[in-house]
Amino acid sequence: MSDESISVIRIRDVLLVTMPADPDDTTVAALQERTLEAMDLHDVRGLVLDLSKVEILDSYFARTVAETAQMVGLMGGETIIAGMSPAVAITATELGVTLGKTRTALTIDRALDLISKPGDGTRPRREP
Amino acid sequence: MNLEDQGEVKIKQEADIAMARRAIRDIAKKLGFGITETASIVTAASELSRNVFKYAGAGVMQWRTFTSGENKGVELRFEDRGPGIADVNEAVREGYSTGGGLGMGLPGAKRLMDEMEIDSTVGKGTRVTVRKWCRR
Ligand SMILES: Nc1ncnc2c1ncn2[C@@H]1O[C@H](COP(=O)(O)OP(=O)(O)OP(=O)(O)O)[C@@H](O)[C@H]1O
Ligand SMILES: [Mg+2]
Repeated sequence: MSDESISVIRIRDVLLVTMPADPDDTTVAALQERTLEAMDLHDVRGLVLDLSKVEILDSYFARTVAETAQMVGLMGGETIIAGMSPAVAITATELGVTLGKTRTALTIDRALDLISKPGDGTRPRREP
Repeated sequence: MNLEDQGEVKIKQEADIAMARRAIRDIAKKLGFGITETASIVTAASELSRNVFKYAGAGVMQWRTFTSGENKGVELRFEDRGPGIADVNEAVREGYSTGGGLGMGLPGAKRLMDEMEIDSTVGKGTRVTVRKWCRR
């Protein structure tokens, strides 16, 4: 397994947060911290959470994702989950996990399209 | 039933949950399980080893692979000397949790695997055994 850490990059006014294939609990917990920190630091509308590398989504991981999206929402940002593989989607559904009301997209591209469309509910740009 | 291979992963700290997942992913792939079946086994292993760590503090995951006629399968056994489960039927019920969780670990693991048995004595410990057959 190559990289086991989270990557956070900023693309225009969106954060792209990429999770590794099989994050341990410490890495999953870091998702919340890293994301909220980055949200606070940058003037962004929200984040795209890239789960395309992820091989399993257990109850702990799913709960953390849903909670993080909720916290980002409280900060005025939007979260879109993108790239979940069919195997992960099937398995997570069979396990019984849900991601709350978080929006999802098939690919990162589609997620970026969705989030960068100015509309209701997205974070207003901060005055410089 | 012919035993093919076996091993164990000790669960003593949080990071061992991921170790257990990795070990079982390799085994499932080698045995010929598909991507989704492998993800199911790995997810069940994650839930059950987390229960061991969360409720008993420590324990072990023992795995073995076997063949029976044309069929191959994997068995995982999670054993601990923790507090045990007072009512096993309650514990496998969706939404039942004494740990502030969503109570989806045991019922979810049961759905993801083909067979599950729970053997638990209050004050002595818990043993959860799950099996999945490789259909191909
Ligand atoms: N190894 C164990 N030792 C003692 N009690 C256990 C063990 N495994 C499960 N239990 C009991 O069974 C209950 C249900 O377990 P289950 O994994 O389904 O849900 P949970 O761990 O409470 O929540 P979740 O897994 O959704 O985070 C637990 O709350 C606990 O009381
Ligand atoms: Mg559990």
